[in-house]
Amino acid sequence: MADAPPIRTRGLAKRYGRLLALEDLSLDVEAGEVFGFLGPNGAGKTTTIRLLLGLIRPSGGEATVLGRPVRSVAAHADIGFLPGDMAFWPRLSGVETLDFLAALAGRPATLRASLLERLGLSATELARPVRTYSDGMKQKLGLVQALQCGPRLALLDEPTKGLDPLVQQAFYEIVADLKARGATIFLSSHVLSEAERLCDRVAMLRAGQLVSLGDVETLRRAEQRRVTADFGADVDPAPLAHFGALIVALPRHVELLVAQEQVPALVARLGMLPLADLVIERPTLEEAFLEHYR
Amino acid sequence: MIGVLFRHHVRLHRVPLLPLALGLALFEWIMTFVAREPAVSSFLTSALRAAPPQFLALLNQELVATVSPQGIIGVGYTHPFTLIMMAVWAVRVPCAALAGEIGRGTMDLVAARPVSRSAQVAAALLALLAGLTVLAAAAWLGTFMGLAGGGLEGVTAWHYLPVAAAMWMLFACCGAVAILVSALAREAGTAIAWISGLLAGSYVLDYAARVWPKLTPLRPLSLFRYYEPQRLLATGLAREDVIVFAAVAAVALLLAFAVFSRRDL
Repeated sequence: MADAPPIRTRGLAKRYGRLLALEDLSLDVEAGEVFGFLGPNGAGKTTTIRLLLGLIRPSGGEATVLGRPVRSVAAHADIGFLPGDMAFWPRLSGVETLDFLAALAGRPATLRASLLERLGLSATELARPVRTYSDGMKQKLGLVQALQCGPRLALLDEPTKGLDPLVQQAFYEIVADLKARGATIFLSSHVLSEAERLCDRVAMLRAGQLVSLGDVETLRRAEQRRVTADFGADVDPAPLAHFGALIVALPRHVELLVAQEQVPALVARLGMLPLADLVIERPTLEEAFLEHYR
Repeated sequence: MIGVLFRHHVRLHRVPLLPLALGLALFEWIMTFVAREPAVSSFLTSALRAAPPQFLALLNQELVATVSPQGIIGVGYTHPFTLIMMAVWAVRVPCAALAGEIGRGTMDLVAARPVSRSAQVAAALLALLAGLTVLAAAAWLGTFMGLAGGGLEGVTAWHYLPVAAAMWMLFACCGAVAILVSALAREAGTAIAWISGLLAGSYVLDYAARVWPKLTPLRPLSLFRYYEPQRLLATGLAREDVIVFAAVAAVALLLAFAVFSRRDL
């Protein structure tokens, strides 16, 4: 059990009537990594998280968290969870909410003070009923309740939703600190720049199916490069289509999408032409993402 | 964890508990003064003697008890006001504790922590019973305080302790059914609608079965059949009634534990 990864799924599936929300998901999330779970709305990200928490039962396959079956109550003691749709008890104050949820976790809220300070929730705000909170404040409170007990595994569904850029930055630092403490963080997002910045590995989900899994760099490498070439004299761009997809084909300006392995050959060919300028762009994770969903 | 959840439910519902308890205490206290008025007893006796046979059938052997001062105070425990006040708690707490948390989205926060599903059902049950105890005690306390000054020979508040206990059992049983309904539902509103319908149907069935002989065989199907304060005052708490309440509550709770443990939240 000690050697089991914090998250392991094998053939995990969830069906709602005729709708297949998740199909045959098999992945391991290793200890201490920040794992991004990406996909558009309705891809199955939240369903996966709810399955990992035992909130819903799988239609097929199995999953373990922290080496225990997901329905095991004991496994939940070390998990911090931020739901995608943050809801609280409107009449309770922020501090009552945090106290209640920490008491349920059965562990001291050792990180609460530091989280509140970094996310900018004051004692005065915490004393107010949650019904008076803005969406951003609720999200901050959600992050604090998820992480206040120093979980070994944090499952965060759209963690920066509704946060302003400054607080997002604070959140990124919090994630880095948690990772340094050895915590495993599983976050779902459709903010790709965020995943690119935070995650060691990402999985992409489309219509309930895993379409890609790997580290951010590998995913980027797997995608095509955008090559932009400017020429000092007119050239015939047609032969360049041999290397990839021509997007712009003008006598003095060419843009292509080229697979990484074709780049050296293309550069060699361009060198034979009256080349004035050459730009080869690495794809962003966003482009890799869009490539999968086009 | 059950204790933490129990305190949570109490915190969420303590505000309405106070007016419910005060209302019940005040109502039963007032009934003791009504019972002291000879004019009221006399009016009730005349009215009942002039009532149509169906209405007399409704009261049946309780006629004599009802028109006595002791019986008038007993009416306070079957009055729709009292029943509604008790039902508010028996419906509200179970429906909010399970279906309400699911509908609001807060169930995810609770269920993602090391809290078993059975602990959630148990905490809802404890909150239900604690509140009902406060309400039944408040009702009896109203009677006690009203009779404390004396004035009604042979009538003491202790006669109404079994009545308050029976009322507690009736609504504990209704609350257990409400917990089952709540364990099945996804929203408090749906659960409240179902359990309110069931309670109202059960009450109407008991009433209809008393006045319409064709429905009499169906009367045992109503929970209200097993709660008759006038009979209680005459003969004490019947073992059969207690067994029915306990059996229905036990079955409902077992089903609630089973259903809630297996369902998707």
